[in-house]
Amino acid sequence: MALFKLAVRNLRRNQRRTAITLVAMVVGVTGMVGLRGFINGQQDVLLENIIKGRLGAVQVHRTGYVKNVLTSPLQLDMADTPELRGRLSAAPHVIGVSPRIEFGAMVSTPDKRPQPEDGSDLPEADQGKTSFFLATAIEPESESKVTPRRHGLINKGGRMLPSADAPELVLNDEFARGLEAPVHPAGAPMPPIEQQLALLAGDRDGALNGENMVLGGTLPSFSAGDKRIGVVPLAVAQRVLRMEGHVTEYALALDDYTQADAVRDGLKAKLGPDYEVHTWAELFPFIKSLTGTQDFIFSIITGVFFTVVLLGIVNAMLMTVLERTREIGTMLAVGMRRRQIIRLFLFEGVVIGTVGALLGLSVGLLLIAFTHSRGIPLPAPGANVESIVRPWVSGRFVVGVLLGTPLGAALATLWPAWRASRLRPVEALASA
Amino acid sequence: MSLIDLKGIEKHYELGKTTVTALRGVDLTVDKGEFTVVTGPSGSGKTTLLNIIGCLDRASKGTYVLDGTDVSDRDFDDLAEVRNQKIGFIFQSFNLIPVLDVAENIEFPCAVRKNPEDAGKLRARVNQLAKRVGLEPYLHHKPDELSGGQRQRVAIARALITEPRLVLADEPTANLDSTTSESIIDLMLELNKEQGVTFLFSTHDPRVVKHAKRALHIQDGRIADGAGH
Ligand SMILES: Nc1ncnc2c1ncn2[C@@H]1O[C@H](COP(=O)(O)OP(=O)(O)OP(=O)(O)O)[C@@H](O)[C@H]1O
Ligand SMILES: [Mg+2]
Repeated sequence: MALFKLAVRNLRRNQRRTAITLVAMVVGVTGMVGLRGFINGQQDVLLENIIKGRLGAVQVHRTGYVKNVLTSPLQLDMADTPELRGRLSAAPHVIGVSPRIEFGAMVSTPDKRPQPEDGSDLPEADQGKTSFFLATAIEPESESKVTPRRHGLINKGGRMLPSADAPELVLNDEFARGLEAPVHPAGAPMPPIEQQLALLAGDRDGALNGENMVLGGTLPSFSAGDKRIGVVPLAVAQRVLRMEGHVTEYALALDDYTQADAVRDGLKAKLGPDYEVHTWAELFPFIKSLTGTQDFIFSIITGVFFTVVLLGIVNAMLMTVLERTREIGTMLAVGMRRRQIIRLFLFEGVVIGTVGALLGLSVGLLLIAFTHSRGIPLPAPGANVESIVRPWVSGRFVVGVLLGTPLGAALATLWPAWRASRLRPVEALASA
Repeated sequence: MSLIDLKGIEKHYELGKTTVTALRGVDLTVDKGEFTVVTGPSGSGKTTLLNIIGCLDRASKGTYVLDGTDVSDRDFDDLAEVRNQKIGFIFQSFNLIPVLDVAENIEFPCAVRKNPEDAGKLRARVNQLAKRVGLEPYLHHKPDELSGGQRQRVAIARALITEPRLVLADEPTANLDSTTSESIIDLMLELNKEQGVTFLFSTHDPRVVKHAKRALHIQDGRIADGAGH
């Protein structure tokens, strides 16, 4: 007779114990699957915010730029030619090319009142302010393909830059509030000069130039460390910086950001030594370390969960062996071999492990399917914007759980099974 | 040639610093086809002796030749084979496997063999044996749906399914009322007569003893009476 059948019947025998063990496994597996799914969804949001909100998937610079990125070196620039843009957009997977200049800029706000007639100074509170920020000069048309997330996030009442040469800028909303700069309504006539903002920046020769602007819109923070930033029109920036026809950066959108490494390698070969190409992961190593930390914590939590569940199985199986001592003695007496006893208990472990894995996975996957379709609104770490987290798990993870759980259950049963097999028939038969 | 040949069998239990002696030199031969009962007061060593004869336990001293092979110092899994092939067991408290039905309990010793016989043939033998012990209507009942006497009949059938040389029964009627006991003993006697199976069992019950063809009396770890023929 199949030991397997016997194992299944034995599990049905003490239904309460089997049920408790199963519930523990289902809770454990469901928790594990749910947690993994949530982490995956959150990591996606984090990546999307960074890639589609700020960086692009791949960036191209003049060689040496990234090493000196903190100083936004304007000397390391590139002539922004249709030919170069064409070569970039011709690369596989590339679906958008956005020319940019990153530079340190200042924004000045106007005085709140005119200078007093008597020649005395305005009180401090009424004077205009000048603040530094990190400016990204863009062509809104091209940029919207690379960072659609940022384009979509402009706060109500404002707008993204209408063109690459508009006298408008977009600032982080907290930063704009600090400046007490109001958003200029779309279509309204420009305010008089003395009520406009000024964008100021030093060019490559150190001369400070500026242009008058209005605040066209504000952006919420949607990833860590993006408070003192602003977006300005490329043509305006090129005039202020005296670098007409030049940019410092191309940000590329890919149809699949996981292909970034391949795209980088292809472009590197194509563009030659004058240019350098980096992926989002290289430009923002913080993400990798963050997701790495999350994965590590996940494996620890899973390990602890798993151990607790497996200890439950060990305990239940030891109780079973204890209860069935005389039965085991009988089986040994009528000639069942020790190895068969081990197998019988291992089967019980594997069966309960498989059922537990299947039930737990079903519940976990239902949970994931439900939260995936509904979406969990949550801010990404360090951001003020709600992002919609959509949990998911990979097929590999599901297969891993499906195989790993019964395997773990079998391992947990090994010791009780071994103990059962080592019973001496005389003593086992004599037990109550 | 005798089926069982015990020479100078001793059994000592180490209990901490003291040693309990359960058997102190048992010589015994049992021939094929015998129907032998072992009696003796509680603690005299009946169970110990049957366990050694049944290859469930090893003697501390002495030699045991079963059916021509010396099994005195064979290892455990080896003995599992010997038990399975040559010996049937009937226990005082039936010891059926509760999750198996009557037919499955009966076939169990054959089903766990390394090379089990064809399932259909085995089932046919089970049915025949069940019929013989009067359990035909109960083949698919679980042990807990049976009376004590019926359970012991299942155990008898399970002991016989392997067509053993020897059936050992330690107080097989102790948990049964007297009428049922009688019928169980009658059944064992009939099977002994029909199939020539050797029966060796222990009992306290004097009414059972009178049916036996041969009675051994154990006292204080020695056979006091009936060792020879
Ligand atoms: N595992 C053991 N450890 C220690 N002593 C034991 C053990 N098994 C039996 N004994 C001792 O061996 C002696 C014989 O016991 P045994 O069980 O063979 O007697 P018995 O004739 O079967 O008694 P009963 O009629 O009560 O079943 C007794 O003194 C008993 O206490
Ligand atoms: Mg006894």
